[in-house]
Amino acid sequence: MLELDRVAHLYGHTLVFRDISCTFGAGSITLLLGGNGAGKSTLLRIMAGLTRPSFGAARFTGKSGKIGHLAHSTFVYPALTALENLTFWREAHCLSMTKEGLLSILGRVGLAARAHDRAGTFSRGMAQRLNLARILLLEPDVLLLDEPDTGLDAASQALLRRELLEARRRGACVVLTSHDIARDAQLADRALLLEKGRLAHDGPPSRLSPPDVAEQACCA
Amino acid sequence: MLRMTLAVLRKDMTLTLLRSSGLVQTLLLGLLLVFVFSLSQGVGENLNARNAAAVFWLSSAFCQVLIFNQLYALEETNDSRLGLLLCPAPIQAVWLGKAIAGLVLLLLAQCVFLPATVVFLGQSLNGPLRPALAILLLTDTGMCALGSLLGALAQGQTTRESLLSIVLFPLLAPLLLAGTGIGAQVFGSADPDGPGAWLGLAAAFDAIFLAAGLLLFAFLYTGDE
Amino acid sequence: MPKYPLLPLLLLLSGCLSLACCQYLIYFYAPAEETMGLVQKIFYIHLPLAWWALFSFFLVFLGSVAYLLKRAPVADRLCAAAAETGVLLSGLALLTGMLWARKSWGVWWTWDPRLTTTLVMWFVYAGYLVLRGLNLSAQRKGLVCAVLGVVAFLDVPLVFVSARIWRSIHPAVLGAQGGGLEPEMKLTVAACVVAFGFFWAGLVWLRKGQLDLRARMHANAETSP
Repeated sequence: MLELDRVAHLYGHTLVFRDISCTFGAGSITLLLGGNGAGKSTLLRIMAGLTRPSFGAARFTGKSGKIGHLAHSTFVYPALTALENLTFWREAHCLSMTKEGLLSILGRVGLAARAHDRAGTFSRGMAQRLNLARILLLEPDVLLLDEPDTGLDAASQALLRRELLEARRRGACVVLTSHDIARDAQLADRALLLEKGRLAHDGPPSRLSPPDVAEQACCA
Repeated sequence: MLRMTLAVLRKDMTLTLLRSSGLVQTLLLGLLLVFVFSLSQGVGENLNARNAAAVFWLSSAFCQVLIFNQLYALEETNDSRLGLLLCPAPIQAVWLGKAIAGLVLLLLAQCVFLPATVVFLGQSLNGPLRPALAILLLTDTGMCALGSLLGALAQGQTTRESLLSIVLFPLLAPLLLAGTGIGAQVFGSADPDGPGAWLGLAAAFDAIFLAAGLLLFAFLYTGDE
Repeated sequence: MPKYPLLPLLLLLSGCLSLACCQYLIYFYAPAEETMGLVQKIFYIHLPLAWWALFSFFLVFLGSVAYLLKRAPVADRLCAAAAETGVLLSGLALLTGMLWARKSWGVWWTWDPRLTTTLVMWFVYAGYLVLRGLNLSAQRKGLVCAVLGVVAFLDVPLVFVSARIWRSIHPAVLGAQGGGLEPEMKLTVAACVVAFGFFWAGLVWLRKGQLDLRARMHANAETSP
């Protein structure tokens, strides 16, 4: 569904990583690991098509062309209400969903009562939940999550995990980076480790050697 | 593409007109310009038609810079730009949506500037009105096509306003000349050539910069920091 | 160890020498103009300045298109070198033009289409250089400048046409420059243009070489620990 072909990226003149080739199939959850500055976020942005890789290419072979990207930025317009935000993204993505449908999505992320409040009055966690609602609305084929837990409370994190499993069941291809290695290693089918600008590990998370995980845990 | 264009247009209009101070700052700046120029009139005399037209277009040009700054700043608060880039429709929809939004806002502002010019600078409307209206629309279209393209240029810069003005104003020179030329005729300055030549020029400008906007916008509006 | 840039230096040197030879042509070969006298000699410097400035801007346009298509940093550096040279030369062309105008037409400035176009272009490309001076990432700056480089060059014919419509009554100016040149004058001015061409090519090349070196220095500084 998503294919990286010998991708390399330079930041200024510094090489972030190189020779990253792998494919991501439908109905899978992949955990992307690496220390600070290893290029996890950059790789996700390249996969989303937001950043042009210095060399190589990211190819997307899905049907509907829907890519979801959930990162630190919430994409929320503060002066619009929660419902208006969702309505705008529905229109921008050319989706057909009724107002009731949008409200029920807001209900799923626990924002039903605040649907008509301006997003500028929301806390960071609530804004991120509104962002999550955008992803739910989109039902993307490829879902890229860059440390999605940031600012979410326990309930929202649990909701996010449920949605990831649901997305996998639907046949989506999920790639995420995470702080909580121990928990997400159980969720994922596959783990990729970026180390010293290379793909150091590609396989089931259980095969990750304990030092790697320990290193991850302290770096993350 | 059309649906996304309309979505961007509607969102931008809501955000500027209903949810913020909107055009107030822009209008005040334009009115102040007209007022300051009115000080150059002596007692009992009026600015000549061409000067008055130039003042009107100067106000419009400043107004346009502020409008496109405001429109492109909307996407910067929470990086919504990235969200727009992820939409399946071609990204030119954003350019088009914002150009149309800017055009509507500019026309609204000009509805205030025109009477202000007439009143403060002592002008009267008695030239060829219909071709003048056509040129006004063509000129505004060109200004917005170029403004929407270059508005994306200053993304993430702190000195956006001044940067946009110094880049945009000289490029707009042909349009401003066309606007001023026809404005002078409307305010009663006779011109043997009539509005025809200006009409052609403004149309050519529009054609070139609408095409340039469509072709070049995708290079400027990217996910890069 | 980088090669010493011999070729641009040779070009510069031959430009200087041939310009020196041109002085002979200017003062002893070409006849003095009847009405303007000695001041007309400034024309032999003024014209090459203006032409090569325009050519620099054309080079910026070509480099910008190449950068947008290939994203090669070297095209971006070529644009930078050409734009700097172009602004310098057009500035000098404006100054020499003013001196000449003062003597022959009695005014420092007249809104002739050619003058107006040169002035507007000077503004546009000065803005372009300001944009180059901003603190942006290399890739982003390259893209933004390339887009502006294309847009700016598209604007040049429009500015010229608009200035022409704007001041449609100036046969004297056109006649004085275009027509009545004697064959000796033509030969002299052609020699000056060619000689200045060498000088120009050397200048652009040398500047590009400097920018290349700087880029390499930055690359080395960033990659070495």
